[in-house]
Amino acid sequence: MTDTAVTVEGLTKVFPVPFHRQSITAVHDLNLRVEPGEVYGLLGPNGSGKSTTLKIILGLISPTRGRTQIFGRDSSLVESREAVGFLPENPYFYKFLTGEETLRFFGKLCRLNGARLKSRVHELLKLVGLTNARHQRLGTYSKGMLQRIGLAQALINEPKLVVLDEPTAGVDPAGSRDIRNLIVDLKRRGITVLLSSHLLTQVQEICDRVGILARGVLVREGRLQELVAIENWSELVLENASEALLKEIEKLAANSNAKLIERRRSTTTLERLFLDATTDRSNK
Amino acid sequence: MSDAAASAVRHRAFSPARIFAITTNTLTELTRQKVFNVILIFGLLLIGSSLFMARFSFQQEFQILKDVSLGVMSILSSLLAIVATARLIPQDIEDRTIYTILAKPVPRFEYLLGKLFGVLLLLAISIALMSALFVAVLYLREQAVLNETLRQVSRPPGEQLDAALNAVRVAGLKIDILAGIAVIFFKACLLAALTLFVSTFATTNIFAIIVMVSVYFIGHLQATAREYWLEQQSAGWIAHVFLAIVALIFPDLQAFNLVDEVVAGVAIPLALFAKTALLGLFYIAIYTLAATFVFYGKEL
Repeated sequence: MTDTAVTVEGLTKVFPVPFHRQSITAVHDLNLRVEPGEVYGLLGPNGSGKSTTLKIILGLISPTRGRTQIFGRDSSLVESREAVGFLPENPYFYKFLTGEETLRFFGKLCRLNGARLKSRVHELLKLVGLTNARHQRLGTYSKGMLQRIGLAQALINEPKLVVLDEPTAGVDPAGSRDIRNLIVDLKRRGITVLLSSHLLTQVQEICDRVGILARGVLVREGRLQELVAIENWSELVLENASEALLKEIEKLAANSNAKLIERRRSTTTLERLFLDATTDRSNK
Repeated sequence: MSDAAASAVRHRAFSPARIFAITTNTLTELTRQKVFNVILIFGLLLIGSSLFMARFSFQQEFQILKDVSLGVMSILSSLLAIVATARLIPQDIEDRTIYTILAKPVPRFEYLLGKLFGVLLLLAISIALMSALFVAVLYLREQAVLNETLRQVSRPPGEQLDAALNAVRVAGLKIDILAGIAVIFFKACLLAALTLFVSTFATTNIFAIIVMVSVYFIGHLQATAREYWLEQQSAGWIAHVFLAIVALIFPDLQAFNLVDEVVAGVAIPLALFAKTALLGLFYIAIYTLAATFVFYGKEL
């Protein structure tokens, strides 16, 4: 059966403002579909309706109009969350629990027990790289570690859909890279990922499709490569090219109808530079 | 179908295992926040009052010991029920922990029941520990007084000695004390259920605590006020309806005050005990239902 992972149809959410006549429309007539196995990014500035949309999909708040479904089941039904894992924005969890206890608690909520729960907890602690910190209370975890234990709890019930609200917000570049690697790993394992973010460059590498929300309205949607491609521009990246060769290529371009817009030395990203520098230091 | 989906546990509309997971987690949360320290306060008060009472006769001593212990136990367990419950839901919302829990296949009523049972378990353990401490102190004092009586009346006529020993036993440890303690537990459970209801619409735990402290005082005073009002000739059906509503919103906490009978050594009739227990259960059920109703409509 190949049900659409997430279906949102005509979704509108209006929040009344107490003691005022006007109300706030957080999401307006939103339609979107997330196909099984893809990584879908819901992008937009703060207050654009991303988190509200995710909360409605998860049944945490009810829509004013429209409907949402997860694998063909209405989001308002508890059983629709059977195959879902969710990581909210900046989660705190229970500070008094250790990493392992946290995963055991969430596993029990999904009615896992005994040897199966134990092996699942160990497997996930290893996956998110927190095996050594498993007996530490979450109160002592860094933000990146909290995000990783959050991702682990979202995966405890072996979900088919993982919903991540701003998964890399407030996490340092190394932590953010770890989370993105984990998302890529989920996709490789066939798990559908729906994430929201306003950190565009970070999601650019991992999303198959994106939808851009502005003031509760979906203003753009499509495959990432198609959306960001500049139709009549091409890039050629060369290694060890001599000055003569480059001049030859420029001459060829000038003789054709093409126009050379820019010639520059390739640069690394600031993030890669940061990661290389900090990783080298920690390895010494 | 993927392996993951194939191995997923099938959903159940009602799962005691899920409720138990939330119950034990709530108990762990409260325990690790050192709420059991109230028992330390109880112990210190008990020891302090025992030292103070050494100068009284044994009848006065036992009476004061019972009065102070049961009174303090009642106040501490009520306070514990309100303070421990008031923070549970607002804190989970503030920390967003509630999102991760309810984004799992957990029905909202199971979440509420798990939280409530966690507090009730905490109250049961706390009251059991306080009772054990109180009963142990009372028993030891009773034995000490019995030995003292035997020593003082060195060559007694048999009847006189029996009467003296009996007087000590009557004033000392009696089974009715347990009934009195059980009623203190019912009252604390009722307050926990009502606090849970208030916390489903309260935005902060301070608000819930303030509301509940008001309810606590009104609940203790309303029976007296009602009796006074109904004695007035002008009390018509409107007054009766109004008083019934007040009695539902503000539980009649005076009905759960059987400490005076216990202290006075008066036996608590079984019928009165059963009636009080049923009243407690009725209130708990009503407040839990109301909490569930409000919580289902809550936008998280």
